Amino acid sequence: MKSKLLALFGSALLSGTAMAGGYQVNLASQRQIGMGHTGTGIETGTSSIFFNPGAMSFIRQNGITIGASALSSKIAYKPSESNITTEADNGISTPFHVYGAYKVDDLLTVGLGVYTPFGSGVNWGTEWNGRFGLNEIDLKAIFFQPTVSYKVSDKLGLGVGFVVATGAVNLQRVLPVQNAQGAEGGIELDGGAKTGFGVNVGAFFQATEKFSIGIDYRSKIELEVEGGDVLFTNVPAAARGNFPEGTEFSAMLPLPATLSLGLGYKVNEQLTLAADVSHVGWSAYESLRFNFTQPVGGSNVSESARNYDDAFIYRIGAEYQLNDKLALRAGAYYDQTPVQDGYLTPETPDADSRGISGGIGYAFSDKFSVDASFLYINKKERTDTAEFSRGVSGTFKSVAYIPGLALNYNF
Amino acid sequence: MKKFFYKSSMLALAAGMLLTSCDPEIDSANPSSGELNLENYVAVGNSLTAGYQDNGLYLEGQLNSYPAILAQQFAFAGGGEFKQPLFSDAQRNGSGYLRLTGFASPTSPTLTPVRENLAVVGMGQDGKTPLLAPYLEPINNLGIPGIRMADVSTPGYGFNNPMGFNPYYERILPDDVTPTGALLPYVNRVAASNPTFFTMWLGNNDVLGYATSGGIAPITPSNTFQSNLDAMVNALVGQNAAKGAIINIPDVTAVPFFTTKATAQIMQSAAAAKTKLYIIDKDNQMREAKATDYILLTSTVGTPETVGTNQIPHGFSPFNPLANSEVLDEAEVAAVKAATVDFNNKLAAAAQAKNLALVDMNTFFNSIKGGFAQNGVAYSPTFITGNLFSLDAVHLTPRGYAIVANEIIKNINSKYNASIPQVDVTQYRAVLLP
Repeated sequence: MKSKLLALFGSALLSGTAMAGGYQVNLASQRQIGMGHTGTGIETGTSSIFFNPGAMSFIRQNGITIGASALSSKIAYKPSESNITTEADNGISTPFHVYGAYKVDDLLTVGLGVYTPFGSGVNWGTEWNGRFGLNEIDLKAIFFQPTVSYKVSDKLGLGVGFVVATGAVNLQRVLPVQNAQGAEGGIELDGGAKTGFGVNVGAFFQATEKFSIGIDYRSKIELEVEGGDVLFTNVPAAARGNFPEGTEFSAMLPLPATLSLGLGYKVNEQLTLAADVSHVGWSAYESLRFNFTQPVGGSNVSESARNYDDAFIYRIGAEYQLNDKLALRAGAYYDQTPVQDGYLTPETPDADSRGISGGIGYAFSDKFSVDASFLYINKKERTDTAEFSRGVSGTFKSVAYIPGLALNYNF
Repeated sequence: MKKFFYKSSMLALAAGMLLTSCDPEIDSANPSSGELNLENYVAVGNSLTAGYQDNGLYLEGQLNSYPAILAQQFAFAGGGEFKQPLFSDAQRNGSGYLRLTGFASPTSPTLTPVRENLAVVGMGQDGKTPLLAPYLEPINNLGIPGIRMADVSTPGYGFNNPMGFNPYYERILPDDVTPTGALLPYVNRVAASNPTFFTMWLGNNDVLGYATSGGIAPITPSNTFQSNLDAMVNALVGQNAAKGAIINIPDVTAVPFFTTKATAQIMQSAAAAKTKLYIIDKDNQMREAKATDYILLTSTVGTPETVGTNQIPHGFSPFNPLANSEVLDEAEVAAVKAATVDFNNKLAAAAQAKNLALVDMNTFFNSIKGGFAQNGVAYSPTFITGNLFSLDAVHLTPRGYAIVANEIIKNINSKYNASIPQVDVTQYRAVLLP
């Protein structure tokens, strides 16, 4: 039932704990992570496939980039009026990206990107007081994006990528039924997503020698699961009629559209500054609804409201080319949460987040270089009643430490 | 190149792991006892206080009694040791209790008595009350199943004698037949416990006994309730001028013992069978049932019985009405409600006079009649599936007792400027299913 495409990949590679707003994972290029994940308004090398296909036609060489981050997030939770703090043990996940770009001629460049812009991996364990809402979620999405970019003039590049997306979701909850020994039941929803389609279009304009501007739009993609497995464990015989074996589920999760506007400014030969603002169309996520083929807990539907708000992300970044070989980078961003008060959930205990990053690039030769980055994300402490989302009330606080490494080969 | 990639990524991974030791922290106020001295917390009350559940007192229920939960939370704020008259592990099933072993039909659970590993050590002088394993060490939980406010000053209430006695009180008293031994009135035992802080949840049985017997056992007279209440409060506040919380009496109609066999529904079944439901009322008169009568959980309503030459469901014929003891009829409900209001007024006045916290459990249980959800779990006063009430439909599950404990903590915190942390109720079980 899982997508065949997905089965080709080691699944451990795909999961990314959502450390941007909602379940977005903004870790698309090691060079750009170092610069606060800016990149819409500048030519970023092969990763322009993601940041702005319009800028891809401005790259000077063919290139291949492969990179990944080691994302380790920590989430603490404390119920109101309690003195006990629970920490989610999320392990380390590895969002990755692979880009290849090839200059067909001076004007036309083609490329392929594979990246993981959405995902979530949270493991609260089976003992915490919110386990009836969630004990573990693993949401994976992977995008394949063949891209063409055309240099309309010396100053203007336009590009479009066609996105083919797939993914998988696994969600586990404890059921509030206990057998004669006191063991609690469990439910697991496991399913692969159908292939979804979208676009990534961008325009890049090198206004002056120093000043550039770009705009990029990545469309919404619906991640749809059909015929996913519903598995029950430890359900007492007396309650089994409520949790029938062989049940399947379907669900749909929107991966929202993102519109970004970016500026670039070359202060001098060494120093490049960049700034981006992104609008993420989170309002597409109105509710999380599971349809079951047989009644589960007495109902064919499990639906809880999400009612996300659209959100903005503000980014700044800089790169300083110390010499021919070494580049130093730094950046920061502010990422608004799409989750309204009363709608917090343990699968995405989201809050406005602040990220600071640093990175280095080192060129071993004209052909071969590496980029390394380090990103620290600190989400604001947030207390929520979760009254509308059927979530878990209390206070959440998240931080993440994300080192990453990429290899570039130019030819 | 491969090697380089491997080395660097391992380095990055190691750096990442090093940094992840910096965990997120959530600041919170430190637990504090405020104006309270929690060194010697004493709990007085009846079966609810003892941890009675599933129609019995047994070790699991004792360990999860609401006073035990409170004491566990008090320990974060300077609370002292809390001793309970626990049954030993070998005698862990105490008085015996009911276990849910199946369902004869979706609406009729099969409840099987547990008869092994009991703490029953003999038969009382009255020939009907089993004696329980004695526990003579000093204790903080003085919850005595069955005790009424009416009983607290009765000498010999715990004395094994042919006229009858309370075995749960008997087991914590010495055997010497003296006014300070086996004859000691409960209120004196309470006074001797010398609390620095107390909770008192007493008075339920003064109306509940009447209600669960379908109006046959008496309701405690108002003046008896008052004088015994005064004696209890004086004993508890004592020379220490102890602070404490008085917990009032919930409405019996909020309890599944009276609501599970829903009268209106059974009347509909009778109507569908082209007959009516008949009962014997308080004055021993046979009449048609009304929706405002409460049929007890223990009633055999609907069981086919031979009437003349026909098999007719019990209660569905004027010749086979529900007995007085199977129904709390409209007039009896009114009597219970009036007495509950009266007793609760007295409890409130006592709390106010001594400036004690009053925990309004009556309002709390009324507020949850329609059910509520907490952390993704639905709770309601529904038998078995409501998660709150145990298999006797009157007493709570450990989860229910934990919810009650949190309600008490909220009141204590606000009355005494304390900051005692609430307990995670999900760590306590609800009804176990076969």
